[in-house]
Amino acid sequence: MSTGWTPGVPAPERDDLNTCVQCGLCLPHCPTFRVTGLETSSPRGRIAAMRAVQAGDAPVQGDFTRFTDECLACRACEAACPSSVPYGRLIEAARVQVEANRPAAERAGRRLAIGGVMGHRRLTRLMGWGLAITQALRIDRLLPRRLRFAAPRVTFRGMRRPLAQSSGDGPTAMLLTGCVMDIAFRPVHQATLDALVRAGYRAVLPEGGGCCGALAAHAGERESARALARARIAEMEQADVIVADSAGCSAHMRTYGHLLADDPGWAARAAAVAAKVRDAVEIDAPPGRPVEGRIAVHDACHHLHAQGIGPEVRRTLRAAGATPVDLGDGGRCCGAGGIYNVLEPEMAATLGEQKARAIIATGAPVVAVANPGCAIQIANHLTALGSDVRVQHPLEIVD
Amino acid sequence: MTTAATGLADRLRDLLGPDRVLEGDLARSLYSHDGSIVDGACGLVVLPETTEEVSACMRIAHAAGVEVTPRGSGTGLTGGAVPLGGGLVVSLARMRAMDEVDVANSCVWVQPGVLNLDVSTAVAHLGLHYAPDPSSQQACSIGGNVGTNAGGPHCLAYGVTVQHVMGVEMVRPDGEVVMLGGVAPDPPGYDLRGVVVGAEGTVGVVTRVLLRLTPLPPDVRTMLLDFTTVADASAVVQGVIAEGVIPAALEMMDRNMTLAVEEFVHAGLPTDAAALLLVEVDGTEAEVTTATAVVERVAREHGVRTVRVARDEDERALLWKARKTAFGAVARVKPSYYLHDCVVPRTKLVEIMEAIGEITEREGVMCLNVFHAGDGNLHPIIALDRSDPDETARAMRAGDQIVRACVAMGGTLSGEHGIGVEKREYMPLVFDHDDLEAQACVRRAFDPSGRMNPDKVLPTGTRCGEVGLADAQVPEGTWI
Ligand SMILES: Cc1cc2nc3c(=O)[nH]c(=O)nc-3n(C[C@H](O)[C@H](O)[C@H](O)COP(=O)(O)OP(=O)(O)OC[C@H]3O[C@@H](n4cnc5c(N)ncnc54)[C@H](O)[C@@H]3O)c2cc1C
Ligand code: SF4
Ligand code: SF4
Repeated sequence: MSTGWTPGVPAPERDDLNTCVQCGLCLPHCPTFRVTGLETSSPRGRIAAMRAVQAGDAPVQGDFTRFTDECLACRACEAACPSSVPYGRLIEAARVQVEANRPAAERAGRRLAIGGVMGHRRLTRLMGWGLAITQALRIDRLLPRRLRFAAPRVTFRGMRRPLAQSSGDGPTAMLLTGCVMDIAFRPVHQATLDALVRAGYRAVLPEGGGCCGALAAHAGERESARALARARIAEMEQADVIVADSAGCSAHMRTYGHLLADDPGWAARAAAVAAKVRDAVEIDAPPGRPVEGRIAVHDACHHLHAQGIGPEVRRTLRAAGATPVDLGDGGRCCGAGGIYNVLEPEMAATLGEQKARAIIATGAPVVAVANPGCAIQIANHLTALGSDVRVQHPLEIVD
Repeated sequence: MTTAATGLADRLRDLLGPDRVLEGDLARSLYSHDGSIVDGACGLVVLPETTEEVSACMRIAHAAGVEVTPRGSGTGLTGGAVPLGGGLVVSLARMRAMDEVDVANSCVWVQPGVLNLDVSTAVAHLGLHYAPDPSSQQACSIGGNVGTNAGGPHCLAYGVTVQHVMGVEMVRPDGEVVMLGGVAPDPPGYDLRGVVVGAEGTVGVVTRVLLRLTPLPPDVRTMLLDFTTVADASAVVQGVIAEGVIPAALEMMDRNMTLAVEEFVHAGLPTDAAALLLVEVDGTEAEVTTATAVVERVAREHGVRTVRVARDEDERALLWKARKTAFGAVARVKPSYYLHDCVVPRTKLVEIMEAIGEITEREGVMCLNVFHAGDGNLHPIIALDRSDPDETARAMRAGDQIVRACVAMGGTLSGEHGIGVEKREYMPLVFDHDDLEAQACVRRAFDPSGRMNPDKVLPTGTRCGEVGLADAQVPEGTWI
């Protein structure tokens, strides 16, 4: 049977597609379905669309591209699915197909944002300075709304502050410096290094450092993602534990084995690195200081749905004496979804505002957020609603 | 879409704007399915948000003479929400508003797209809940529940959807808005609510529903019992009810199903048991204690291996998750499933389970059972791979024999999922010619032009007097 997939490029696998029985139990868990009520922006619909391509009934163009682009890749559906449909794997492969079929001009713009910038440390830092300057001068207000909501708040102080590594003879924990984290969230890195020390590790940074490749992978830029993965593996494989303080990064690095499975020179090294990955909230360090009062908890999709992480964040806060408060929105995605807020601004804005309102409704002065994309999105939407709730990484709160 | 309907999309777009009218091939194909394996053909999809918009859509469809199929969340298991002949799908998924709760009368008006579980969640702070709880409750809509007269595990004690719908607002096929029932206990005139509840979208589009809310029980206890034979488990079902205890829920799961579910929920279900019973009793603390004692005693009399009582709300939620995600877990075995939801008298449980075992073995198909044992409402789920035509044919044959076996034991076709496309040709097994004709006449009174979800419920060729209804054969190529 001839399929509609472009040959020679990874595509959603038939066996994976077959695990969906179309029961629809995932629908209410999907943020884009909740907003639109459309089968076409639901997990079941997106899977059915992939099946239609698989069966040769639809092309990888037009509507298929649109339905795929609108997905946040938050994987809430995957966590809710009783048949364990590997949705994350399916959408990633579908996106590789979509990119392979996207008109060149349209593609160039998207690439610039992802592989092009995030892959190059110098470029990201340059972009960081650019942001810091525009924000300091407040000319960022002139940026189009969609770029403004996606932009992290960056300050000169944060950019220049060097990170303190530690010496000693405990097991080595190496922290991924990353892309967005490195320009906008240095204090989070510092808090993570501190927590590693408290947990008895020798906390170190990689030589060089850079993006883990998650943004590229989520956007279907498979080759960029693989190149970035190899670079990180080479830099980090000596460490005993590999730590990422961004939910998106830890979730992605755990898939390195799968990503490089067909690369004979790298498959084993990739799998070994993947097995050593810990998210920062999993390190179980004693708190650095006592904290009182209520703290709202936002579960990043890449924590909750991709890695089943959730209790760890609450435990960290509770250990310091704080009272973690769940949001009343059932843990729905905030709409950040990597660079989704640049590419699908309307949906992202609706979800971001809903999330900010749910946070404000808890009455807590601080919200714990363990993923940079979410932190940027949430902080910007809180500000837009005139709220002064602070957004901090859980380890920053107890640092 | 018929030629008469040319221009239909334009008129609907003028009304709803471009985003709420779907016309693309791929989008339409996604609306040609529901939770069953029926494959249909959808011509156009609209997503109205208000009663007025539904009414306007229906007037346009009436003028164009096109067929209309209402759709809720599309979790139905009989193809009810699937258009077969390329007609218009009216999706109610964007009609999700809820009114203020009428606390004095314990009821609330909701739009049809509101999800079943969302109602209970929204009223929990008032100590109330919406009692009918289909296993799909997280995803299915109130409109769809009304359409199918949905049941659920807790309907054993609380009753099915029709007992909880006090009123409905409905748009008739020509666009007229009618109101049936209301807050008053016995509204004047014929009580037509009962016609609309369970009509599977064949008499109109329900646009608002007045739901009865039930107080949350003060105390609940959930127990998991496991047995080495299905006969023992069935005897307990019988025995408990014979003792005068009506549990809030009484569900059975066989070994095949337990194996599939345990892999997903990791609830510590005993996978070597022949049958599990999930029993829930509720009421005041004293009532719960008494009922629990009765269940335990009867279970011991019939050789129960272990009695596991949920210690806290988390464990209770886990046991229910095991039950409520059971259908989906079938995909671990095969990519599709085919099931009937026929009913047998409780006294026939052992006999029918044996018959199902024999039938599925003869046809060489795998059957997983999970069902509402308390009211004898079976769900023999036959796992299949639709890309294997031979297995598909055997699954269909097994399903057919199971339905006939149930009816032969004094049972009926459907306990809760409705008739839809899948079961309509079985209707003559339980209704004679005159019964079917009477039903066709009721339907005609609401829908004289025969455009509301045609090809559903009543078998091919059913007539009201001289006028044929649903005469069309299932279109060529339709997969049922
Ligand atoms: C995993 C799983 C478990 C299930 N468990 C149960 C169970 O325990 N008990 C049970 O009863 N069912 C169960 N079902 C079946 C299904 O969920 C129910 O039939 C449910 O009521 C369908 O609701 P829906 O919103 O998905 O409706 P749909 O499937 O969209 O529609 C169902 C029917 O109602 C009609 N309809 C929908 N909305 C309207 C409206 N506004 N006005 C008029 N007609 C309308 C449609 O035309 C169709 O005929 C289960 C399904 C699944 C997938
Ligand atoms: S993805 Fe899972 S939950 Fe969603 S329709 Fe498919 S089987 Fe059901
Ligand atoms: S990944 Fe998120 S947005 Fe995409 S289909 Fe699943 S739940 Fe919906």
